[in-house]
Amino acid sequence: MVFSSISFLYYFLPLVLLLYFLAPRRAKNLVLLISSLFFYFCGEPVYLFLMIAVTFSGYLHGLWINRAKDGRYAKVSLISSIFFGVAPLLFFKYTDFAIKNINLFFKLNIPALKLALPIGISFYTFQILSYTIDVYRGNARVQKSFIDFSAYVSLFPQLIAGPIVRYTTVESELYIRTHSLKDVASGINRFIIGLSKKVLIANSLGELGDIITELNEKTVLFFWLKAISFMIQIYYDFSGYSDMAIGLGRIFGFHFPENFNYPFISKSLTEFWRRWHISLGTWFRDYIYIPLGGNRKGMAKWLRNIFIVWFLTGFWHGAEWNLIFWGLYFAVFLCFEKLFWLGLLDKIPVFLRRIYTLFFTLISFVLFNGDGLGECFYNLKGMFGFLNIPFSNSEIYYYLKSYFITLLVAAIGATPLPKTLTEHLGNHKKTKSILNIIEPAVQVSLLLLVTAYLIDGSFNPFLYFRF
Amino acid sequence: MGMKNIVTTCLFIIIIFGFMIGNIITPDIEISFSERRTLTQAPGFSRRELISGDFFGKFEKYTLDQFVFRDKFRGLKAFMEFKIFKQKDNNGIYIVNGNINKLEYPLNENSVLYATSKINDIYKKHLININTSYAIIPDKNFFLASDNGYLSIDYDKLAEIISESITDGVKYINIYDILSVDDYYRTDIHWSQNRLIRVADKILTGLGSNKKASDIKYIQKELYPFFGSYYGQAAVNTEPDTLIYLTNDTLEKARVFDHYYKENISIYEPERFNGVDPYDVFLSGQKPLVTIENPDSSTKRGLLLFKDSFGNSIAPLLLAGYSKITLIDLRLVSADALDKFINFAEYQDALFLYCTQTLNNSYMLR
Repeated sequence: MVFSSISFLYYFLPLVLLLYFLAPRRAKNLVLLISSLFFYFCGEPVYLFLMIAVTFSGYLHGLWINRAKDGRYAKVSLISSIFFGVAPLLFFKYTDFAIKNINLFFKLNIPALKLALPIGISFYTFQILSYTIDVYRGNARVQKSFIDFSAYVSLFPQLIAGPIVRYTTVESELYIRTHSLKDVASGINRFIIGLSKKVLIANSLGELGDIITELNEKTVLFFWLKAISFMIQIYYDFSGYSDMAIGLGRIFGFHFPENFNYPFISKSLTEFWRRWHISLGTWFRDYIYIPLGGNRKGMAKWLRNIFIVWFLTGFWHGAEWNLIFWGLYFAVFLCFEKLFWLGLLDKIPVFLRRIYTLFFTLISFVLFNGDGLGECFYNLKGMFGFLNIPFSNSEIYYYLKSYFITLLVAAIGATPLPKTLTEHLGNHKKTKSILNIIEPAVQVSLLLLVTAYLIDGSFNPFLYFRF
Repeated sequence: MGMKNIVTTCLFIIIIFGFMIGNIITPDIEISFSERRTLTQAPGFSRRELISGDFFGKFEKYTLDQFVFRDKFRGLKAFMEFKIFKQKDNNGIYIVNGNINKLEYPLNENSVLYATSKINDIYKKHLININTSYAIIPDKNFFLASDNGYLSIDYDKLAEIISESITDGVKYINIYDILSVDDYYRTDIHWSQNRLIRVADKILTGLGSNKKASDIKYIQKELYPFFGSYYGQAAVNTEPDTLIYLTNDTLEKARVFDHYYKENISIYEPERFNGVDPYDVFLSGQKPLVTIENPDSSTKRGLLLFKDSFGNSIAPLLLAGYSKITLIDLRLVSADALDKFINFAEYQDALFLYCTQTLNNSYMLR
């Protein structure tokens, strides 16, 4: 089940809201747990048991680490928790990649397992790891209730596509949380914004990408339009999902961390990664980069640490070489920026710095979006005119013209402009009262529009589900 | 702020609960007339489907199809796409001056070649001794697309491919130059029968007949409102068409035999106007093999008409030149099975009459 579906919006959500708010305080986590398990079961009936098993493993390891306290058994338990946490992820996500490469290098013919990737495994594995590591470090109290712990891991708003909510972030809210009308209304607002970003923009640009990919004649403009529309699509898709998760969490009294902060206005790639998929970036920083020594142990180790983290970031996104290259691409840029370019970048006009960032981010998403390295390089060659193809043709102009407003709206929406404007209007007494009427009307309109798009359309995949 | 929060929360609750209850209590609809398809019904429950996840997939489709005010919501989406996002088309549908059309793009050369090879095979197998011709019906895109900035197939190229690959014995009857967009319904893919007299004349002449449809007196009958196939797909508010058919005593008396169901039908069946596809008024819609016999014919000539749905409305007019016309829809009957039903010696002429859309998507020809 996905948030942007009729079954979620008009069946699952109202029933869960009803049960949740009718349930007594002590039963609320149980309601959330059962709802979340059902939510997962709808999409992945078989893998539900895998998720429960991995959750139970995390729960037990948390207890063992806590019992051993600072002794050496605590460390053993931690290593064991990491092993049992990561093993299913490695098995389901990376086995076929390993087999494919072993076959390639050793000229073997080992058959691939062709296992379906359990939805959300990358996200819930990292959440469980953050819990056991934090318990080991003493940063989190052990959770003795399996229901509460399972509710945390499987919490449906963030279960399958993040943000990666650390246990410490919601620890206190698992025990006691308040439900205010303000939070509910703000959650609804955030949820509808995310839903609209996903359905009205991301899906539309996804359709554009699919349509133009089917065109007979490829042109330079085609490759650029495909790259740009994908970059905007993935932002709206993923940030839209994060908005929905944050909004739903808020309705249920949880305060999840922000996952995006207008990444396309960044003035460097270093800044981009402080604004893009923040929960993943900080996870790697806190659980990989800093434990490896960060930048405190000399240049060589710092470079090593950077490359390890970005290799893992790429690999986390998928078992494909182009995704590993995508991660390492950023490692190279981040190193160069840190060592040489940031000083230079500071001296050039802001708009040029933004163009620099957007350009290299765009190239990175061409690497990200390709089906293997061959396709990535083919697309890059197409963008830069190395395929001996015309610059444009009537087909690509047609679709550019047809989707121009969507692209324009998407581009404006990816900047803080709408938010700044709303805040500005909210600061004046006269406009504030108008805004108070307009805002709910806009939300209702967006919800109905999304419903209309869902009913009429069939294009609705979440890109980040594959991770 | 407090009031805004109350309003926001209440509206959200009203909408999600309101539609949930509405969807549950509203009886399910079997057929969408606007989309001309059967709607998904509530899935049956089985443990196997539940475990495999199929149940939830089917349930999702069911919720999409059985949503209250479904057509209104589709209209809302079309409005957004056309008016707000200024998209040139919505699901491939575009509108020019109230004329609804569907993009046909790009030219599928292999499909055109496949259609031609099908014609060649049938000609060589059955029609060597029959005077055989072909005519291409341009779809509405021919008149509307490129002039209004929409993608359009290269019609000259299409004609050229056919002309170069079709076997020598099959002659071409050009009807492009006597058709205009006004000869088609605004809300439908098809042409309007009352505008086809001169087309029928040209085809009859091309086939070597000295009879003309324009010499026959017809009574014009109208059926209103005609919501064509594009009307429902477009999901916009526009004036419906009037479906017009031409009849007379001869056509009323004509014997029409459906070889598949082995039953007699009528040339026109106005009662089908209220069915899923109102164009089924002509010869009861899609039938694999139908023979029309002209009781008043002064000739003994027979015509084999290989056609798509466009042929159903022009066949009654072509009857002016024939005692018998057999309509063959190769989308529904295999070319290999034709000699089981047809005695080719009874026919003097054959015509392959296909719309460009059929030729560009010809893999449906069997």
